[in-house]
Amino acid sequence: MSSTAPEMGGRRDASFEREPARRVFASELRECRYQFKDGEDEKSPTFVLLPTGERSNRIFISGTLTEKSRQGEQNVFYRGRVIDPTGTFFVMAGSYQPEAMQQLAKIETPAFVSVTGKPNLYQKPDGSYLVSVRVESITVVDKETRDLWVLDTAARTLDRLDALATGTSPDIAKAKEQYPTLDPAVYRKNVFDALAQIKM
Amino acid sequence: MDYSEATERISRKYAKTGHEIDRQKIEGKLRRLVEEFGVQPAEAERSVTNELNKEFNITPAGVPGTPGPAGGATSEKKIADARPGDWVTIEGKVVSLSAPASPAIAQSGILADESGAIRFVVWAKSNAPKMDEGAWYRLDSAVVDEYKNIPNLKVHSGTTITAIDRTDPLIPAPCAIKDLHPGIGSVRAKVVQEWDTTHDRMLQSGLIGDETGTVKFIIWKEQGKEKLAVGAVYSIFYAQADEFNERLSLNITGATIMQEEGDIATVTGGDTEVRGALVHIAPGSGIIKRCPVPGCNRALSRQNYCPIHEIQPRFEYDLRIKGWLDDGEKTHNILLKRDVVEPLTGMTLDQAKEIAENNPLGMDEVFLQMRDRVLGRYVVCKGREIENRLLVNTCEKMHFESGEHAKLLNRAGGAS
Repeated sequence: MSSTAPEMGGRRDASFEREPARRVFASELRECRYQFKDGEDEKSPTFVLLPTGERSNRIFISGTLTEKSRQGEQNVFYRGRVIDPTGTFFVMAGSYQPEAMQQLAKIETPAFVSVTGKPNLYQKPDGSYLVSVRVESITVVDKETRDLWVLDTAARTLDRLDALATGTSPDIAKAKEQYPTLDPAVYRKNVFDALAQIKM
Repeated sequence: MDYSEATERISRKYAKTGHEIDRQKIEGKLRRLVEEFGVQPAEAERSVTNELNKEFNITPAGVPGTPGPAGGATSEKKIADARPGDWVTIEGKVVSLSAPASPAIAQSGILADESGAIRFVVWAKSNAPKMDEGAWYRLDSAVVDEYKNIPNLKVHSGTTITAIDRTDPLIPAPCAIKDLHPGIGSVRAKVVQEWDTTHDRMLQSGLIGDETGTVKFIIWKEQGKEKLAVGAVYSIFYAQADEFNERLSLNITGATIMQEEGDIATVTGGDTEVRGALVHIAPGSGIIKRCPVPGCNRALSRQNYCPIHEIQPRFEYDLRIKGWLDDGEKTHNILLKRDVVEPLTGMTLDQAKEIAENNPLGMDEVFLQMRDRVLGRYVVCKGREIENRLLVNTCEKMHFESGEHAKLLNRAGGAS
């Protein structure tokens, strides 16, 4: 499992590497409390650190869009809730993502959707945290795609948990520092429960 | 110490250019430099040579401006140990001669010993004797420099070439393709693909592979050069690996090529497999117009403009999808051609044409429909990875496997 981000300035190179979209269950993403920039540049990518020890600049999720709402007067944006077997992703698309906003606006709930987007960590006025996903693209998919995502995300989460037990990458060290109370068994159980919920 | 050998070398060289040398004077100069000033013998020889060059007004060609104090000394080396900047004395066999690229070059080719091989250039100005292919020579005081990232041995007027009496055969050790680096290398490989030639002077280009990887190869048109057969296995000795945009290509025009019996299980050669989700469909996907000029086939702009052939109203339609396929660890830039797009999207070129010409949104409508059918889906793509892009030969939607499900349940539950 590689968690190395491109070197600083690497994005300007011809060999531009797009940040991969991590697979993460809602129950894990919800627990993120640490967000950082890789580099000093204004354009440097922002990452949230997943509790299982991997940075994430982008995620790919597949679940059920249960609600969506149009908000704002001057700056219209859409919010939505995407449910996976472990919890809820809060997604949003604003005028800076016109294409994503149009896609989201068109979808009638409920629907299975696949979402690619960027996670962002916010602290609300009451001190609690919220991880919201800024949508890059959202499409209506079928149940099989959602089920494939659960398998994929389960496998990736188990991979991260295995690496967390034995690995020594900087992201793992950082995760142990930032999430001292983390109990890998809880995450493993979440994976099991998620898998148990999808029917064969 | 005996200076007669060095003196002999120097006087022989100047005798060739018609200059009579006072051998005692040379020997005296050498002795003085070495014994009085503690100069290395090789450096002393060079220094005397330089002095004579100046005296006879000979400009040594290809001599770097300021050789370092230590690097200035000539040392006897194996070819594999020769580094750019070194002054070296090398014994090797001329394994290949190639047509000189410029009148300033008398001879160029490849010199090899047991340790490896290096490209060499003999400057016309050096007045060096012609070397024969297949013969062994000792090159005294040649310079190693670098040309296009490849070490290059330069024979200049300060170099002495002596034929040596060796006839032992030299069998180079083949190198794994993944270990190739810029320079001269030998491989045992199979011709995996033959590509269209992109240049009049090119005889053949394509892809060769072994158990470790694949690399592009080129043969330029030269007398007596023959094409390789696709599917055949060859030992290719002393090919030149060039680097361009961080990618290697193997120029085998001057190489010794022998067809081999047997087969090699090559990696990839059309078989990179990526399983993941399509996370982005890029603009320029869907139905596009192509330039009809034979051999061009470029995508036209909306105004039917080809970057080379300008306005082309009699364009041809085509389908393609450009996008990103993401396996959670790495995102792969992918390109799907029409024969892959049609079964994946369930939309044929004719159907797409119908939409493009009759729907108010035109070509955009095709893009949107295709995007909605494939974006966010899990697929398996197989193809060939070239310049960080996967050229996809087959792309199929993935299906749920209950065996995989059971395995993951065990894995998640087994450890708790």
